[in-house]
Order: sequence, then structure tokens, then C-alpha cells
Amino acid sequence: MRNDRFYSLKKSDLQKFIDHLTKRLTVFAPVPDGRSCNYRKLAQGQRVIIDHCTNTEFPPKSVFLPEGEVLLEYGKGDRVSERTPDDRAAIFGIRPCDVHALLVLDKVMLGHDRVEPHYKKRRDNTLIIAVNCTRAGENCFCESMGTSGLEEGFDLLLTDQGNHFHVEAGSGKGEKLVSENRKLFTPARKEAKRPKLEYKKRIDTKNLPGIMMKMFNSGVWEDVAKRCGSCASCTFTCPTCYCFNLVHDADIGDLDKGKVVREMDYCMLPRFSRVAGNFVFREPRTERVKQFFYHKLVYGKRRDGKFHCVGCGRCITECMAHIDITEEAKKVRDVYEKR
Amino acid sequence: MRKDDGYKPMMARVTAIVKESPLIKTFRLSFLKKDDGKSFSFSPGQFSMFSLMGTGEAPLSISSSPLEDKYLEVSVRNVGNVTNAMFRMKKGDTIGVRGSYGRGYPLENLKGKDILIVAGGIGFPPLASAIEYMLDNRDDYGKIWILYGVKEFDDLMYKKRMKRWSLAKDLDIIVTIETPCTEWDGCVGNVTELFTKLKINGRNTAGLSCGPPVMLKLVTSGFRKLGISDDDIYLSFERMMQCGTGKCGHCNIGDKYVCSDGPVFSYSDVKKMQEMVW
Repeated sequence: MRNDRFYSLKKSDLQKFIDHLTKRLTVFAPVPDGRSCNYRKLAQGQRVIIDHCTNTEFPPKSVFLPEGEVLLEYGKGDRVSERTPDDRAAIFGIRPCDVHALLVLDKVMLGHDRVEPHYKKRRDNTLIIAVNCTRAGENCFCESMGTSGLEEGFDLLLTDQGNHFHVEAGSGKGEKLVSENRKLFTPARKEAKRPKLEYKKRIDTKNLPGIMMKMFNSGVWEDVAKRCGSCASCTFTCPTCYCFNLVHDADIGDLDKGKVVREMDYCMLPRFSRVAGNFVFREPRTERVKQFFYHKLVYGKRRDGKFHCVGCGRCITECMAHIDITEEAKKVRDVYEKR
Repeated sequence: MRKDDGYKPMMARVTAIVKESPLIKTFRLSFLKKDDGKSFSFSPGQFSMFSLMGTGEAPLSISSSPLEDKYLEVSVRNVGNVTNAMFRMKKGDTIGVRGSYGRGYPLENLKGKDILIVAGGIGFPPLASAIEYMLDNRDDYGKIWILYGVKEFDDLMYKKRMKRWSLAKDLDIIVTIETPCTEWDGCVGNVTELFTKLKINGRNTAGLSCGPPVMLKLVTSGFRKLGISDDDIYLSFERMMQCGTGKCGHCNIGDKYVCSDGPVFSYSDVKKMQEMVW
């Protein structure tokens, strides 16, 4: 590994760096929010507490796929114009699992020969300043998904070293940030020291897609469906869930005018697969439960070469029925092996 | 369409409307801008997103020939928000079009084969486009059978077109209606019951179908009984779609997206799908 990309940033200088960012860009960072924390736009000079919580309650996908994003505007005389986002932004304090989630979203939104231009613009215009974790949360299982560390996907990566942060520049944009703040960043020789974290949960991913495909009609899924309340919290808080609707929103005062907005949608809801004539393709709850589990652990891997689960554990934390993807994955493997 | 295009539609004007039945209308459309008309292309079985600003968008397959460069035609049944608003359109009104998307019927690969087409209800339009294309290139294809089934007499569409097609050489059309009525003296029953009337060399025949899920299931087993190989069975699927470009996540069947891997799939591919397809 090249070590000319390594720097050191004193902890006491962190806020100066953040202030440098907020002066120039829209900066999103985790701020305390009730018992947890969430990504918010920082006000100029707003203090950032880097280890208030292990990870945010809601994932950072909303920075790149904002709820209610205006995609088109239309008016009288067949005027339709595409609205392109031009915010220059940075996301500070994003954890490795969530950076991996962005790499998954890139596969979907920028891959398969078609680029989603709004997402691309936000991705291109947003600096990724990631922070390695110092402890694992109750429901974290990133290590078993291979997403607890970062090789790519960041402009800067900070690692807590006690009295200072080890900083790795992962891109030209990251190097530029460092050179703009020469007084704060001093060159460092060595790689960051990272303590081994203790994880309470894990998923054994070995042959998992193959096993799950053979267990497609297993009673395991009916059992999950019996407990599931179809509230969609899992999909709502999943950092790789990207499904959306294009909603036409007419101006109440002048019906010739209006906009087309993106609203996120959730496969756990029956109407998700409803077509004209009121036919619902995934009417039984079991089919919807399977859609979530299989998308995360099978379809994503097969389609994009990456699991669409990054082990952040949010779906476990938020599930009112205490459905745990790590336990269900284990159960299905056990049933498969004992059959 | 460019690969990085967003959701902005090209605008087209309604130049003619045919009322096929009380529930079905066909709209003839021409692009407002010449350049849009030139850049827009499609193959039979592909779909495009048709939008009425303020109401929404719907994925529809074009029913006219892909070789027709002056206009395109779409037929809709009044069943949803967008089609309901389309039903109120008058000559001269405008509608948004973006596309084309997905994979259609692989007609180029089927040259030299006999073609058995089975259409169910409002599943006829993409197949109608395929028929127009094959008639535009009549010598490239062998015998063509068209089986068309609807539930009620009022569901019947393309009466004039079928009359025109029936004049083509080596082409048979059989229409059946599930519910008997006094206006109809033709076949009565399910479209798959017509298979027994056909004398077909399954080995040199391709089966193309589009219709409701249950019908596709029955048609597929009918095709196979006739000896048509799974590689030569092509089925068009319907799913909820928002973007048409593989991004919105609504139309997946397992790891396949109907909007970009389909909407037309060969039965060889359908067999591998584990999620319930019909």
C-alpha cells in the first residue's frame, strides 16, 4: 500500500477542519437525535461529536436519493424541464458499512448500461469523509459481510488513534482537501492501527445464495411472515433499499403547472407490486418477506456481484417484531443442512 | 434514447383516435419535434413510458409497425389512472413519451420459422406490432397463425386490422370469446382450446404470447404440447413499473428485472425464475 496518502489530524483540529468544510459546502454529519443520531445538515460552526453513537438511526441514502426530490417541472404549453441537483456537499462521519451501501447503490443507479442522472450528479458532487468504527453496535454484523473496512469509496478515511486521527486520502478530491488544510494535516508514514472489534452477530455467507435458492419454498419464510407486521421499517432503514415511485404533483393553484417527484417505496407494502386492474403480484405476506430477504442475500449478489446487505443491523434494531436477518439466515442454513 | 437520459418525456400529439370498443381506444401519435421522431425507435414487444403531466405515467407497448416512421399507435384499456385520463384525450392533445425500454420479441432471430401468435385481451398490442413487422417482411417468415381470445364481446379490438391481415398470404386468424353472446357467431371458449385446431410442425415454429398471467401459463403448456422448444417460446410479462430503466426496483422477478431483462422472456429463462411468475 502506498503510504504517501497517509496523514495525521490532531483531534483538537477536527473542528477546524469541519468548519473549513461547512464554509464551502453543504455538510451532512451525524448529530444526536433522541436516543440515537442522524445525518443532518450542519450549521456553520456547529460542533460534531464523532462517537456519540455507533451509527445513525437512518442510513445516509437520503443524501443521494432524497425523499421528495424534484425530478421534473412542467408548465403550460407542454413545457417540461429536468431539474438537476447542483449542491456541492460532503458527508462527514459515514461508517464503512454505509460507504459499502453507496457502492451497492452505484451498481444499481449507475450500472447495467443506464445511468440515473440525478443520483449520479449527487454522487459526483458529494465528498465522502468516512470514519472507521471504534466499537460495534448491538446489531452490527458488517465483519461477516466483508464491509467493516474500506479499500475504496471514500475521499478521506479517518481512524481514531487515541489523541489523533489517522487520515487516508482515497481520491484526488481527498488529496485536494488535505492540501487546502496543510496546517491541520501532517504527513504520516504508517497505516492506521485498528483494534479488533467484538461482534455479537454474524451471517455465514458461504454458499448462502445457493442454499437460499434451494430453500425458496421452505416453511422458514412463512414463519417469518407470521411474525412480520408489514410495517416496512426494515426497507425504510436499509441503506441499500432504493425502490422509488415517480409521483406527479400538480400545483393546486394552477393545475397546468406541477412537478414530478421521487418518493421512496417499500416492497413490504402490498401496493408495491400492484398494477392497473388491482392485481397484486406479491399479495401473500410470505412473498413480500421473501422479496426483502432474497433481495438482500441472493438477488443483489447475483445481479450486481455484491450482497445488498452490508451488515449495518438497522433492520434488526427497527423491527417491532424482533425479526433478525442474521437469525433467519442461520435458521434457513440449519434447516437446509438437516434436511 | 440516450443512456444517461432522465425522466423527461418527448411530447407527441394525438392525430387520430379509434374507439375499438367501449373499453378500448387506439391513439395515433406524432412527435411535436421532428428530431424526437427521428431519434425514437422501438422493436415490437419493447415498451415506452407514456405520461400525462399531473396524472402519471404508464408503460405501454406500441402496436404499430416499427418501420412506420410518420406515427406510432398505442391502444389502452380504461383500467387505471393514466389510461382513464388518456380516455379523455381529444385529437390535438399532447402526451409525453420516453423510451423505448427493455427487450422485445427477437423477430430477427425467428426468420425462416413458422410463427404462432397467441394474444389475450389487452395483451394484443405488442403482438400486433410484431405482426405488422412480419407482414412488412413477409418473405422472411413461414406460416403465421394468430389466435386471439377475449372475455367479452366488448373486449374485441383491432377488427379492421385483423381483416387487413387476413388478406395476407399464409396467415390464419382465429378469434374466440369466453362469454357467449348474440352478437358473436365465432368460436367460444378459452384461447388455449383453439390449439387442437392447429396442424403445426412444432420444431420449426416459434410461439409468441402476451396476456394475463394465468393465460400465459396455459399457453406455455399448450406451446410445449405442440412440440415448440422452450427456446422458441416468447412471453411478455407485466409488472408494476415506475422508471422503465432498472432503477426503481418495482418489476423484479427474482434477480431479473422485467423492464430491462424483459418484458419479453424466453420460456427457457422463465423456467429458471424461482419467484412465482404467474
